[in-house]
Amino acid sequence: MVDRARKGRYTSLAITARDAGATHLELGFPFSDPIADGPILQEAADRALRHGTHWDDLRSAVRDTSTVLPTIVMSYANPLWTRGLARSLANLKEAGAAGLIVPDLSLEESPPWRRAARRAGLDLTLLAAPGSPLARIDALARASRGFLYLVSRYGTTGGGEISRSADLAPLVRSAHAAAPELPVYVGFGIRDRRTALRAMASGADGVIVASALESALARRPSTATVPRVLGPIASAVRTGGT
Amino acid sequence: MPSRYGPYGGAFVPETLVPALEELERTWKAARRDAGFRRELSRYSRSLGGRPTPLYFAERLSRRAGGAQIWLKREDLVHGGAHKFNNALGQGLLARRMGKPRLIAETGAGQHGVATAMIGAALGLRTEIYMGEVDMERQRPNVLRMRLLGAEVHPVTSGQRTLKDAINAALRDWISNVRTTHYLLGSAVGPHPFPAIVADFQSVIGREIAREAACLWGRPPDLAVACVGGGSNAIGTFHPLLRTRTELLGVEAGGPRGHPTGAASLARGRPGILHGTYSYVLQDRDGEIRDTASISAGLDYAGVGPEHAFLKDSGRARYVAVHDEDALRAFRWLSEDEGIIPALEPSHAIFAAVREARRRPASHRIVVTLSGRGDKDLEVVGRAVGA
Ligand SMILES: Cc1ncc(COP(=O)(O)O)c(C=O)c1O
Repeated sequence: MVDRARKGRYTSLAITARDAGATHLELGFPFSDPIADGPILQEAADRALRHGTHWDDLRSAVRDTSTVLPTIVMSYANPLWTRGLARSLANLKEAGAAGLIVPDLSLEESPPWRRAARRAGLDLTLLAAPGSPLARIDALARASRGFLYLVSRYGTTGGGEISRSADLAPLVRSAHAAAPELPVYVGFGIRDRRTALRAMASGADGVIVASALESALARRPSTATVPRVLGPIASAVRTGGT
Repeated sequence: MPSRYGPYGGAFVPETLVPALEELERTWKAARRDAGFRRELSRYSRSLGGRPTPLYFAERLSRRAGGAQIWLKREDLVHGGAHKFNNALGQGLLARRMGKPRLIAETGAGQHGVATAMIGAALGLRTEIYMGEVDMERQRPNVLRMRLLGAEVHPVTSGQRTLKDAINAALRDWISNVRTTHYLLGSAVGPHPFPAIVADFQSVIGREIAREAACLWGRPPDLAVACVGGGSNAIGTFHPLLRTRTELLGVEAGGPRGHPTGAASLARGRPGILHGTYSYVLQDRDGEIRDTASISAGLDYAGVGPEHAFLKDSGRARYVAVHDEDALRAFRWLSEDEGIIPALEPSHAIFAAVREARRRPASHRIVVTLSGRGDKDLEVVGRAVGA
């Protein structure tokens, strides 16, 4: 999560994440009403807003991290929409962002957003979920850019058990068949070696870690926290992926 | 059924909810065509809900205003004490039709929570209600009612701890339990198809107004006035009158005099995306949702239903904001002039109606939707007027 209190530390956080095995960095922009998020990211967003975090903090954070790792911005729809879609996306591209995730953007609402992202040169990544019918998974995979974000279970971000690999596998297979070049990454609830292995056993190409890192950083803000959380997950992804 | 009202509306939701919204839309469309469903809806409306509700000529209040006639659409007489019953019943029957054994709902004033708890009890569905801590405190009698009706009430402690935060909590519950749970949304807000479904079930208000007006006067009213929180009693009042010459006036909460926004999304907000719908929203430059203020918990919301956004832009309806102080004055007028203690929400509409009546001839007929009764507000009003 972008937080004004983290100013000046994004580059070193990104470097430690890269050294721990991360291939991309997701930077969340805090929103007042994050309906897809569990308590950890809700609190992180509240904290960031209390610290006076603004759009310009996001831009400068992206500038810092994108020289280290391809950086993907996560933002709810309204902050992007409200300053004009074309303008927000151009802003982010200019700062060096590679892509964008909008957790409350449905496939049905996505066409103007996909067009705007294409024009700005950003990958707009869509989310699929365990309850999505396979025909929807195919449509989502074909419309998504960068990767497909497969939500691990019925629930919000953070703790809680993720779906069984066997339940996720058909979704991953279907997405791979519909868009053979597009990687599928599983997110929500990935926090350790076990959950990462479970996600990877579905045939996914990688995992996304947010709450686990955010809560560890909230407890211990040092850069040493990053490899402690990401190290075991990255090694699970390497094993699970082969 | 429209998913858009001009540019407004739509469904901005996490993918997890999409299949449930599609199922809800399918079920509702099938139910509307099903004579058995319609019969059941009207049987419960009549024998459990007490519908139809009358139009009452508020003669002494009209005299106080000194101008047009003010008539009240008595939704305060509906079972539970507010119009919220109409929508809770309709959606409760849809939930049963979908085979979902559990209902969840948000509530601000507690009236929608009470309505949902009543319907949950009557239909044998487990019911859990999310309510902001601030609202639980200021609408305490309704918390007790919900619990007595067998519902579980979850205090919401995030954000401003009012209606917006209760909707967040209910949406998160729904995301986690969507296979077994129907989210019985209480106003004409949220992602498609909710605004359309809620408008449909609340349109009984406007249909009855049109029918009774035709009997009494041979023509529709000159002006219809309703308060707007999320906008369900207002859209239910307006819908059946859209194609008549009746002027439509929505009344938002202006908050305490001097507050920059109150809770007047249409008057003081700009278009944005909140709780799954594109409509007017009180927000800052970065698109963060702003804190709101209103003496009435049911109007204290930073967003508004998308169809109202469209009616505002098109000019078919007008929207004004009324301050806390004026709503309190109207609360007392109606109590003292007519012997009817209104809820604080429609007190805003009463004030606006009196103001309108003053500048209109005695031949004009104004219908105000009295969306609920004021038992829940006695403590708040007592404190405010020092009674
Ligand atoms: C009596 C009453 N009127 C009005 C409202 C506002 O809701 P809406 O704008 O959806 O009618 C409420 C909400 O709680 C209410 O209890």
